[in-house]
Amino acid sequence: MRKGLITLTCLGVLLLVITAGAFAAPTTLAISIRTLSSPYQVMYKNGAEAYAKIVGLPLDVLTTEANSEKGLTDIKAEIARTGANVAFYVDPNDASDAVSIAKTMEAAGVYWVSWWSKPADVKVWDYPHWICHVTFDGFPAAVFTATELLKTFKTPGHGKIIALQGRLGDTPNAERWQGLQKVLADNPGVQLLEWESAEWDRTKAYNDTRAMLVANPGVDGVWTANDDMALGAIQALKEAGLAGKVKVVGCDGEPEMFDAIKAGFAAATVLNDGNYQAELGLAMSLAAKQGKLDVASLPHKYRQFEIPAVNVNAANADQVKHDYIDNIPTYDLSNFFARWSRALE
Amino acid sequence: MSQTRENVETEQSTGGHGGLSASLKAAGRWFRRAGVSGQLLTLLIVAAIFAVGTKGRFLSLVNLQVILSLAAIPAIIAVGLHQVVVLGGIDLSVEGVVALCVVFVGLLLRNKVNTNDVGFWIVPIVIGIGGIAGFVSGLFNTRLKIPSFIATLGMSWILWGLAVYISRGQTVALLDTRFEVIVTGNVFGIPILAIIALAIVVVLQFVQNGTRFGRYLYAIGGDETLARQAGVKVERIKMIVFTLAGLFYGLSAFFLSTRLGGSQAITGNNLLFPAVTAVAVGGVALTGGIGGAKNAALGALIVTALNDGLILMHVNPYAQDAVNGAVLVAAVALTIDRRKLGFIK
Repeated sequence: MRKGLITLTCLGVLLLVITAGAFAAPTTLAISIRTLSSPYQVMYKNGAEAYAKIVGLPLDVLTTEANSEKGLTDIKAEIARTGANVAFYVDPNDASDAVSIAKTMEAAGVYWVSWWSKPADVKVWDYPHWICHVTFDGFPAAVFTATELLKTFKTPGHGKIIALQGRLGDTPNAERWQGLQKVLADNPGVQLLEWESAEWDRTKAYNDTRAMLVANPGVDGVWTANDDMALGAIQALKEAGLAGKVKVVGCDGEPEMFDAIKAGFAAATVLNDGNYQAELGLAMSLAAKQGKLDVASLPHKYRQFEIPAVNVNAANADQVKHDYIDNIPTYDLSNFFARWSRALE
Repeated sequence: MSQTRENVETEQSTGGHGGLSASLKAAGRWFRRAGVSGQLLTLLIVAAIFAVGTKGRFLSLVNLQVILSLAAIPAIIAVGLHQVVVLGGIDLSVEGVVALCVVFVGLLLRNKVNTNDVGFWIVPIVIGIGGIAGFVSGLFNTRLKIPSFIATLGMSWILWGLAVYISRGQTVALLDTRFEVIVTGNVFGIPILAIIALAIVVVLQFVQNGTRFGRYLYAIGGDETLARQAGVKVERIKMIVFTLAGLFYGLSAFFLSTRLGGSQAITGNNLLFPAVTAVAVGGVALTGGIGGAKNAALGALIVTALNDGLILMHVNPYAQDAVNGAVLVAAVALTIDRRKLGFIK
């Protein structure tokens, strides 16, 4: 009986200390991203760190490492650790994860912004603390890169291409693929000879491209859904003696791709500005937490929307690399919807 | 001993009245004893189907070069992995070891982010790193008595984390082109990489067939308790096997990084499953005690030829996984030596 009383008292004191600590502590900024092993994802972290420095708040970086369960567990742990005094920016590992994350945030009363992945039939406005879901528009990005690729043919707009998709079923991959299909439909002189799914992986892209080059002699261009695969394809073209003669396009704006464009191996890419993604997401969540953003009053078009990426080709590669890769731009975050391009259905 | 008997049989058959049929019988006996008849038959069937399906393109010199070149690295990894399997264990550290070694290749060879240039020393360095990683896995397994499944899985995560931490998630582009000839060059039309892989297989197979180490390896894989009672230093053999596996993974990382012209931790991704598949298809029993280096290498060749053939035949990528799975089950059914298996788990 006495032991039980002591234990209860200790637990109570501990709880008080934790709660008091959480109330006394400043709001924590937190981002949950997939990994720190990709240059693009590292841009998120850099942007988040830059924003945390601006507002003078602590930042925690969580990674899912492609494990949905880990992602959710880490988010719950972060909420518990901060006593829900946290503003979140989340890039769900899988689209389906968004629902369980939303329920977790709702239960804890934590404001958050999601990027990239959520089920199309799940509406943000059904969850009062889910401020918005934002994504880069993959369709116009792919239209741009495919159009740039067609310009490099001996007879522009007439030729044969092969293509590499990312993981089949991923939303960004589907959008980018639709963009390529649109350009092919508009340019009947271009023939898509074969495509493979290299699952965003450079080594698999290299392997698949080598085989596709044997299967399809006389290729004029290679379209890929991201830069990692583009860089794998370039290595395969180098070994086939075709690098520079047959151009490649990608997407995401990885630093190496800028070099490939300058060297004449690649024609174009599209930079998804991860720095801006992180800064905007955290700024919105913090504003909502501080009562400066009334989420309930936002029209639906601002709760699920797309923003444009930065188109890159040989003409502006140096400038874009200087502005976005070598430096982190200073963003005007006074208007959260300044880059709004279209609402997501 | 068996080799001598085989020679005598061959001499008798060619010198006597048997003629061609006796030679064929002798060859048949050799194949059966070599334990690769099923693998060669599978390879033959795969080649025949794809040769017909691609109107001969599958057997063109350029495609055979592509297959040999693409199979070399998976073969080296599978050869490293298979000895652990022969012991009755499993090695899941492939991706972590390769990730860390790839990062070191990028940072120590002439690159774009620092002034390092260790030149040819990179080969012993990465092989050494791989070897140390394998040695530590062996320690986990033999000293801490952690099952190989968990010991190597944990090791993989540790090394993956280290690789990401050291590389900061960035891709390091290689400026050093001295080693490119190894991964792109041919000697008498045969890719140099394939010759290196073949040399490794021949040496290791010789060690497995003709040395005490080889006999102990199979004794442990067959029945560890009996081997221990017979005086075999089981822990020592296990340590050697895990270390050797790490050496091979390190070497593979060097080739991978050189081939892709850059290094990033995620280069190690997606290597484990193909390696395990190659080992299984090659006829190495996952229950231990059966199979050699030649089996693992042939398994890698079959898997690579299969992937290449599916692309050359323009098989729809949505259907490729299903076709791959069906063919792999059929291949294992053809290659597994049921006479030597006491039971199927």
